[in-house]
Amino acid sequence: MAGGPASVEFRAVVKRYGAVTAVDGVSFTIEPGTLATLLGPSGCGKTTTLRLIAGLELATEGQILIGGRDVTRRAAAERDVSMVFQSYALFPHMTVLENAAYGPIVDGTPRKEAHAMARAKLELVGLSGFEARMPSELSGGQQQRVAVARALVLEPQVLLFDEPLSNLDAKLRRRVREDIRELQRRLNLTVVYVTHDQQEALAVSDRVIVMSNARIAQAGSPRDLYERPANRFVADFIGDANVVAAELIEVSGDRAKVVLGGIALELERRGARPGPVTVAIRPEALLLSADRPAAPAAPGRIGKAAYLGTHMEYTVTSALGELFVIDRMPSRAFAAGAEVWISLPGTGVAIVPE
Amino acid sequence: MSEPAAASRAPARDAGGAGTGLLLLAPALLMVTALFLYPLGYSLTGAFRGVDGAWTLANFTKSFELYSRDIGFTVAIIGLSTLLIAFFSIAIGGYLTLGENRTAVVILRWLYRWPLFIPFIVAGQLMRAFLARNGMLNNTLMAMGVLDPADAPSLLDWRGIVIAFVWKQTPFVALLVAGAMATLDRSTIEAARNLGAGRLRILIEIVVPQVRQTLVVGLVLSFVTMMSVLSVPLMINAQSPTMITVDMAFRINAYGDYGVANALGFLSCALTGAVAWIYLRHGIRERGRQ
Repeated sequence: MAGGPASVEFRAVVKRYGAVTAVDGVSFTIEPGTLATLLGPSGCGKTTTLRLIAGLELATEGQILIGGRDVTRRAAAERDVSMVFQSYALFPHMTVLENAAYGPIVDGTPRKEAHAMARAKLELVGLSGFEARMPSELSGGQQQRVAVARALVLEPQVLLFDEPLSNLDAKLRRRVREDIRELQRRLNLTVVYVTHDQQEALAVSDRVIVMSNARIAQAGSPRDLYERPANRFVADFIGDANVVAAELIEVSGDRAKVVLGGIALELERRGARPGPVTVAIRPEALLLSADRPAAPAAPGRIGKAAYLGTHMEYTVTSALGELFVIDRMPSRAFAAGAEVWISLPGTGVAIVPE
Repeated sequence: MSEPAAASRAPARDAGGAGTGLLLLAPALLMVTALFLYPLGYSLTGAFRGVDGAWTLANFTKSFELYSRDIGFTVAIIGLSTLLIAFFSIAIGGYLTLGENRTAVVILRWLYRWPLFIPFIVAGQLMRAFLARNGMLNNTLMAMGVLDPADAPSLLDWRGIVIAFVWKQTPFVALLVAGAMATLDRSTIEAARNLGAGRLRILIEIVVPQVRQTLVVGLVLSFVTMMSVLSVPLMINAQSPTMITVDMAFRINAYGDYGVANALGFLSCALTGAVAWIYLRHGIRERGRQ
């Protein structure tokens, strides 16, 4: 296997199953040594995209390049790509060591050497001493680490993860995602990671590719996606967002003056023209106060209030519409039915290009 | 009702329930005892009784003297057939699971089950018409110019019996094996592909070990079925050496010798019992391992 991480490039890739188009003209480049996440709701084409990289599906149209090499028509075994499956896909009749050593043995490496390679990777994922166990004797987290060791043992150019945390409990999920990120950085791997969990995607990725209806809705850094969503779908899918109607009244270079619910704000223009526009407001960007603040504010009434330990969640009815608000100061709680003032400091608010 | 009174009546109600349950089971138990256990026990003990009714091993001595060659022939035929059935059912199940040509998979799935619905005696007759010196196989080969008419062989010997058994029993085992393969977690197959394994390697190293238990069940059941088939060896090859089912029929029909027939039957049961014991031991060990 070739050393060092490789880039992954899709050029107008299409995958059809009969009349159904699972991936529709997708193009992107993942830089070597980075962790990119394919994010989207069920059925958006993210897993098919991952399987196209792995060679478990062949593209109907377009080109796939790994490390600059065209692998579009190449079989899975010829791509130098390893995959960690959602169900881990450990061979139930083999021990942990046999599972981890399977790749090199298939590759023609002598059994003794293959076992030594497998032992090294099992040590890397913290599973020394578990070599003789059967997969059924391991916990979910340990099984996942065996799957990672098995994928790493061939030192692939690209490592793929298909929803790797979906079978783990909430506490373990955070730890395992940190482990994956740490491993990716330590071994300087190119990792492509599929998830439908936007928090997971934001936490681990250098770059997130959001997919919707078999196409890319937006690709960028986690901050880009969160703060500058390209469309209404991304604004709504990445974190919670209040998507409200506003009026663009004045344009000055790349800045635009927007009025929403009587509050005037200066935002990045993002190609919008004077007239009605859509604005996405993050729930934590809305400030609530009992007294009218000095800054421009709109009146509202608390509909629902929920205490969540670290913060309060409110539903507020106002001139902007029904808003979802997160207040990080749970000590200052408003009761349902309370009259409040809503103000917008300007961050966490963006015009959504239509 | 007071609590002690209720408690004292509970066992009485339980006993009544158990009695009703036994009553409901009684007809089935009677049928099994009368139609299965009694004849089996009678036949098995009959192997150890002489014509005067005294306990003896003479029937076994006579069986070995007259039919030891046929016993060996039977074990060899059934053993070889079982191996071939295992091979073909793995091949069929494997292609149905891993085959990439959808049309071929659909055709195979439609075709392979047909022999299941054909009785052994019809299978025997089919093989006679197919494998005889002037049968369809030789005629086809001669028409194709592959075989010289003077060299046309007859396969109506041990080969015919094996072919008939394999043809008849492979679909049954393949049905079980293909079903088990279809329920496997496909991601294990894809993981092996991802690690560079080819289809044959995946079949042998990943798929078959996971369906081994189902395969063994199918083969044990097939083994038992083949041990009890009379029509196929009778129609294809009733000359010596032949299978012990033919010998049993001959002892009864020609001599009314139930003692030797029972002894041969006992040996059949011992053979199938040994195979079943191997299967059970294997199953227990497998479950213990899991």
